Amino acid sequence: MFLTVIGALNEGFLQTLKLFAVTLIGAIPLGLVIAFGSMSRFSPLRYLTRLVVWIIRGTPLMLQLIIIFYIPGRVLSSGSPWPSGEPGRFLASSIAFIINYACYFSEIYRGGIQGVPVGQQEAGEVLGMTKRQIFFKITLLQMIKRIVPPMSNEIITLVKDTSIARIISLQEVIWAGYAFLKGSHGYSGLVWPLFFTGVYYLLFNGVLTLFFNYVERRLDYFR
Amino acid sequence: MSILEVNHIEKHFGATKVLSDISFSLEKGQALSIIGSSGSGKTTLLRCLNFLETPDSGTISVNDHVIFDAADPATQQEKEIRAKRLHFGLVFQNFNLFPQYTALQNVTLARELLAKERGGESKADIEAAGRELLAQMGLADRASHYPHQLSGGQQQRVAIARALALHPDILCFDEPTSALDPELTGEVLRVIRNLAEQKTTMIIVTHEMAFARDVADQVIFMDGGLIVEQGDPREVIDHPKEERTRQFLSRYAEN
Ligand SMILES: Nc1ncnc2c1ncn2[C@@H]1O[C@H](COP(=O)(O)OP(=O)(O)OP(=O)(O)O)[C@@H](O)[C@H]1O
Ligand SMILES: [Mg+2]
Repeated sequence: MFLTVIGALNEGFLQTLKLFAVTLIGAIPLGLVIAFGSMSRFSPLRYLTRLVVWIIRGTPLMLQLIIIFYIPGRVLSSGSPWPSGEPGRFLASSIAFIINYACYFSEIYRGGIQGVPVGQQEAGEVLGMTKRQIFFKITLLQMIKRIVPPMSNEIITLVKDTSIARIISLQEVIWAGYAFLKGSHGYSGLVWPLFFTGVYYLLFNGVLTLFFNYVERRLDYFR
Repeated sequence: MSILEVNHIEKHFGATKVLSDISFSLEKGQALSIIGSSGSGKTTLLRCLNFLETPDSGTISVNDHVIFDAADPATQQEKEIRAKRLHFGLVFQNFNLFPQYTALQNVTLARELLAKERGGESKADIEAAGRELLAQMGLADRASHYPHQLSGGQQQRVAIARALALHPDILCFDEPTSALDPELTGEVLRVIRNLAEQKTTMIIVTHEMAFARDVADQVIFMDGGLIVEQGDPREVIDHPKEERTRQFLSRYAEN
């Protein structure tokens, strides 16, 4: 029984990890684009970007997920654009998560970019450095140092947030654990698999925490 | 022949005129002090010289060569501005050292990047020159310290070495001791005094009147974006002709 449960949970956790990874891969660069939009000198673009970020950050991810998954099928005459079954659910979840997290990341980036004093840029300019040299040799590392702590918080939250995809029946780890309570693989009424999913989160977040602590320590040599 | 000639510089921020009709010249090897109350435009003037601000009108010449003319866009091309900046060095009020680099790296970074671009000096030569400069600032034993491990006075001396590393024709200081605790100003002023003795061409914005009088060959008193009085420090500071200069100096004497 134990092996059956672990096997099913592993499969669910694999889906959790996939959503986690795809979200990061999409949201980390998209967040940068949004951050530049929200700092644009072209004010309509700046206001529009900030409005979108405000809406996305001000409403629950769960709601966004439901809207992205269910609404297109209702309003489009061609029916739901999502592929059927698990691939469709995964694709919809990925898009909702990427957009949501890109908005959170963009605010962190913006804080990091604007947090580097202009004096740093000016000191570089006065020393005859190019814009490129100033960015890569001076400001970039200072930005990274500023964004690592808030990014690590956000990324650890993402690990737990992936469970929200269960609302559109994505078969992630909690879905897999809950199945044993409802009845699956010939078992029903099993409570412990659901609890046991917590171990996966704890272990994974433990590893992430160690990693981010390491990165922060590596950047500790300057202020 | 003057090393620097500033003619009729004007600068507005929006509708406010911050500099009006600023003209002066500076001889090679001389030190010029700029004094004046807060908001009189001293920082803006230094920033114009260093191409951090663009004057609305006027010209700036170095070694009889017009490097900036507000009426001539050809003198304002981004590519050339980089090279022209190197005529000037700027020491900021709050140092602006690069926190992720050691004292020595702060001094050598720009010169290394320049050498990489243009060829020339080896890394080892640049480093040796950097250590030499730090030693001259009394910081030989602080070369591998990061800025946050240094006192304010030490940081400012690193910043001076960093500016000197590029051999600017004219070194500008913007209130180099204003951000320092009183007991740390002496070490920085001493370093600047040494530079003056070595005939470094300098422009020093300062609130240290006694220092300005001792070190400078020429003093400019600014008020409301205008040069009110300029000349020999013993004249301007000890025997000011203008009423506004007198008021400013007596307010100073009280504090
Ligand atoms: N970027 C800017 N935008 C708008 N106004 C500015 C800007 N920089 C300076 N000013 C204004 O220009 C005037 C001159 O400022 P500046 O900093 O040159 O004075 P200062 O003589 O250096 O004063 P302090 O002794 O306080 O350093 C001030 O009224 C200031 O408010
Ligand atoms: Mg100033």
